[in-house]
Parts: sequence; C-alpha cells; structure tokens
Amino acid sequence: MAFQTIVGPSSGTGSGVFPTLVFVQGNEQRVINLDHSPFGVGRKVDKDLVIADPRVSRDHALIVSENGVFSVVDQGSKHGTFVNGERVERKTLERNDRLEFGVREVAYVIFNPQHGTTNSAREFLSQISGMHISDETTDLEKLVLFLEAARKLNTIGVLDEILMTLLDVTLKLTRAERAYVYMKNARGELRLAAGRNAKGEPLLDDKTISHSILEDALKSNSEFVLTDTSRSVDLTGRKSIVAYDLRTVICVPLRKPQVQATRAAEAPGPAIPAEVMGALYVDSRFASRDISGVSNDILHAIATEAASLIENARLVQAEEAGRRYQQELSIAASIQQRLMAVTIPEVPFAKLAGRNLSCKEIGGDFFDAVNTDEGLTIVLADVSGKGVSAALLASTLQGMIYSQLTAGMPLTEIVTAVNRFFTDKNIGEKYATVIIARVRDNGDVEYVNCGHILPLVVSNGEVQRPAHGNLPVGLLPDAKYESDHCQLKPGDRLILVTDGVTEAENARGDFFEDSRLELAAKTGTLEQIFTAISNFCGGTPLNDDCTVVELMYTG
Amino acid sequence: MTLKIETRQADGVTVMSCQGRIVFGEEAAELRENLKRVLASTRQVVLNLAGVNYIDSGGLGTLVGVYSSARASGADIKLTGLGQRLRDVLQITKLVTVFEVYDSEQEAIATFHRGAA
Repeated sequence: MAFQTIVGPSSGTGSGVFPTLVFVQGNEQRVINLDHSPFGVGRKVDKDLVIADPRVSRDHALIVSENGVFSVVDQGSKHGTFVNGERVERKTLERNDRLEFGVREVAYVIFNPQHGTTNSAREFLSQISGMHISDETTDLEKLVLFLEAARKLNTIGVLDEILMTLLDVTLKLTRAERAYVYMKNARGELRLAAGRNAKGEPLLDDKTISHSILEDALKSNSEFVLTDTSRSVDLTGRKSIVAYDLRTVICVPLRKPQVQATRAAEAPGPAIPAEVMGALYVDSRFASRDISGVSNDILHAIATEAASLIENARLVQAEEAGRRYQQELSIAASIQQRLMAVTIPEVPFAKLAGRNLSCKEIGGDFFDAVNTDEGLTIVLADVSGKGVSAALLASTLQGMIYSQLTAGMPLTEIVTAVNRFFTDKNIGEKYATVIIARVRDNGDVEYVNCGHILPLVVSNGEVQRPAHGNLPVGLLPDAKYESDHCQLKPGDRLILVTDGVTEAENARGDFFEDSRLELAAKTGTLEQIFTAISNFCGGTPLNDDCTVVELMYTG
Repeated sequence: MTLKIETRQADGVTVMSCQGRIVFGEEAAELRENLKRVLASTRQVVLNLAGVNYIDSGGLGTLVGVYSSARASGADIKLTGLGQRLRDVLQITKLVTVFEVYDSEQEAIATFHRGAA
C-alpha cells in the first residue's frame, strides 16, 4: 500500500482538517492527528502509535483511509483488534468508535471524537449572550436566549458545537458534574455524541454512567427522568449507581419537535410522544454536588429547547448534504466540459472549430475529432435525457467511438457496434443521436447520421442539408446503419449541431428552428451562430446544451 | 407538469390523448406510467398526439421504450395526430419506420378491427 497524504473530512475536529485519534492509557490521554495512511499500530517502536504492552502484537493493526473513509485492519494480531467491544478483521470507522488493540480496558483509542478544541461558533454564542443578557435575567431566560441565538446561527457543521454549548449550559444551570448527549444512529442505537464535565473538559468515555437509567428514560413517556438515588429504595440492576457512587441522575429524552399547529386546547386523548432522537444525560456523584433540587422549569426548558435546537442543526447538516450533491453535479459538469475540451487536430485541408453552450443541468452532448490516414473525422453526439447519467453515458460513448475511429473501423461498423453495446446493456430509455463525418483531403465527406439533426453544408452562400439518416443508437437492437457521401469545395463549410440549438426557446415559447439556424449559418461563423441563438433567446435560459461544430474545407 | 393525458374507449380500442409537452422528466414518466397501466388490461392502444406541440429526446426515448415493450408482449400502440414537428422528429430519427402512424384516429382504430377480422 502506498503512503499517501490524506485529505480528510473537514468537519470540526481537533485540527479541523484531519480526523483525530484520542489515545487513552491509564491517566494519559493523547490526541493524534490521522494525517497519513496507512497508520500503523503495534508494539514495534517505529509504529505511528506504539502501545508497549505484551498483549499488543508487534504489527498489530493498520488504520487506512480510502476516499475519506477510514477503516481499521487487523494484521493477524494474536489478541485481536476490537471496535466497540467486537473483535474485527476489518471495519469501517465511525465517529466515537472505540478501538482496542489486544489489551482491553487499560488502553484504548477513540476515533475522531466530536470535541473541537477551538470552538468558534460557541465563542460567538457567548459573545452574543454576553452582549444581550443582563444580570437580572434568570437562568432559565438565559438558557432560552442562548439557545435562540444558537438556533439563528445556521453555521455549517455546527452540530458538534451546539451539542457542546448545550452541555455547558446544562451543566451551568443544573450544577451537575457531568453531562452527555446521546444521539440515535441510523440503526436506532444510542451513540455518545458529546460529553463534558463541569470543568469544561471533554468526556470521551461513558463507561461510568448509568445506562439502565438512560434506557428507562427512552422507554418512558415522560419529559425527563430525575433519579435521586438517596431516596430510591430499589437499586437492583443499577450497577453503575452503586459502583460509581452516583447521587443524582437526570435524563432527558430528546424528542423531535412536533408541529405546533395541531395543539388545540381540547385535544382529545393522551398525547402521543414524539420520536426520540437522542438523550441528554446529567449526573453528579455523592461526593460532590446534589442536583436533585434542580427546578422542573429548567428541565422542561432544556428538554424542549435542546431537541428543537438539535433538530435545526440537523436540518442545517441536511442542507449541507444537499450542497454536496450540488458539488457532485458540478463534478459531472466538469467531466462533461472535459469531453468537450477536444484537442483539434491540425490538418492542411481543413479548419475545425467547436463550441458548446451548457444549460444549467448537465446534458449529454459531446464532440470529438480524430485525424487518421482515412481523413479527419468529426463526431457529434447527444445522449437523451440530462444529468449525471446522460454525462456518464456520453463519456462511454465517446470512448467507444474514439477507440474504433483510431483503429480505422468503417463508420457504419462503429455505430452498429455502439448500438449493439447500448441495446445489449439494456439501459432503459436512454439512447443517443450521433453523427460521424469523415472528410478526406479531396473534399469527399462520408457521413453516417443516426437520428441527429441534419448537417448543414454552406456553399457559395447557399445552405444544403444532406438528408440521409438512420435510427438513433441504443433504441433497437437490430437497427441497420448506412452512410452517405457529399462533396465539399474549397471554402465550403460543414456545420453540425445538436438539437439544443434548433430547440432553443425564447420567452414566447418559440423555437430557434432550422430556418433561423440556416440563416445564421449562411452568413455567419460559429461565433455568430451563437450570437444569433442568444439574441433569439433573450433572457430565457437554455433547456438543453447547444453544441455547434464547424469544419471549413480549405482544399 | 406540462402534459395532460386522457384515456377513453372507442370501438373496443383504448384511445389515449395527450395534451402538452412530452419531455424528459415527470412528463415522460407520466406517459410511461399511463401506457403501462393501460397495457395491463388491453392489447390495442391508439395514442393520439394531436395536442402535443413538443417532444424532446427524452420523451421520444420513453415512447420508443414503451412501444418496444408493448410489441414484445404482443400488444400494439398506433400513433395518430402527429403535428409537423413530431413528424419531423420521427423523420430525422427514422423512427417513422418503427412506429405505425395513421392520419386519423378512426383510421388507426379501424386497423385493429381489420387485423382482428
């Protein structure tokens, strides 16, 4: 495996660029940037993470990155590699996964925990709250204002920081010792999303909390569960409470905010609890503080505000996902631009130019030009439909035609083969119109037109439309293809267009049509044809890509 | 959505009339779904496109797709009411050789009965 530098996910982790590993061994805690792959773990001194324990193998495991996805790979270690307590050979890592190498409990690694060391949004929030909140406001009002401010801050990737803010505020208001937020993952399991203690230190480990109370809180319909262990008689099954000396536990299920509109005063029947998306857990130990006296108002405010806050942050993240999708589209667009970026071959007998005007959506146009012993061949194709699928199909088509052209295949055989390929693959209703024209140095043009707009030959100011045609490629498996010939004289121009040109629309819903195209082609060059199109359309955006290829035969 | 589809029975043949544009996207999907639904219960469909002022490449692909699968399952779709634009498109793409096209709806319906007789 090659040593590579990782361009990691940029969401708010320690360094902001690379995911981090938090290595915990006894009282030692170390943050390591995962800035290269593979990242070696083992007993050998040259490892990226050395764990000096006999139960750790010399070459124990690797953490590898593939396309921004991190996985741990066991290297045949004797005592095994564990992710969240499960022995694994190879496993994709998710945030907050706990990794153990041979030695359990004593030393472990948390993958990419959600704890920013710098916290811009949070700092900003405190600035806002510092400005607007006077000393007279109650804690409750402060919380509401604080959370309001956070909600308005639609900063991308803000969820982590919102959670931290939530924990800090909750700790301040409840005077509890520790606070944790749990979020449900896609499989409905609760995962630790963030933890913090009263000193403002991140808590990465939730071993010592009462998981049974957490589970109870989720199952109950109540807004929050407050457990005062000094008054509770039955502590059977509450292992942690006994073991870790927990005094008070507050657990607030975070429910998806419900639409307020239906909240009629005389709403019949019991309210159906909204979907639980996570939980807020706060506790204190006997030895420190008693938080059983926290007012119900505050807990109520936390329960409702926190949930809607997190939901909002999630919506922001969903928006971010939408933005990523847009990025994908722009990648597809750049693929298509490269398809259009043809190196135009220099030939002594002709001058070639091509231009494409892309519409907002990605289309499936492409053109190509190949010079072989048989002559200069130009290809213009338009895959039906739009979007990434059309762009992908266009690039496949371009590759197939290009390779067969350079291999010197006859034009009709090329389109027959392409048609067979496309119909064999059964790609639904997708097909392509293609025109391939091969110009020899003597001016002879052989062309095969597969459902494409008729080519234009401009000769002495007159436009001819060589009319021979065939079925498009990719529609019918047994389609037969034939070519035809026409003749160019020096000074003649051969113009190929896609239907985006003739079907360019103006505000009135009229099309550019063949008549306007012929008029523009008769008098103007490539650029002037495009000027004519944009003058015609006015401000109306294009529905489809417009591509024009022009060959001037010089003789 | 810029396509309206009406389905009715005429002389034991299902006649589907389209109004608007058949373009890539929801219009093409609408046409496909309607034709599929009709073809589940009948083998004889006349598609009247007199109200269609525009069909783009995606719409044409849908039309050919449904047409081919109908033929493969022993059903038949006949086209009628083609405006000049549609005729041009079918001419350029040579699909005129694939579809059965009739000048009038009556004529298209009659050919089904002739075939059955």
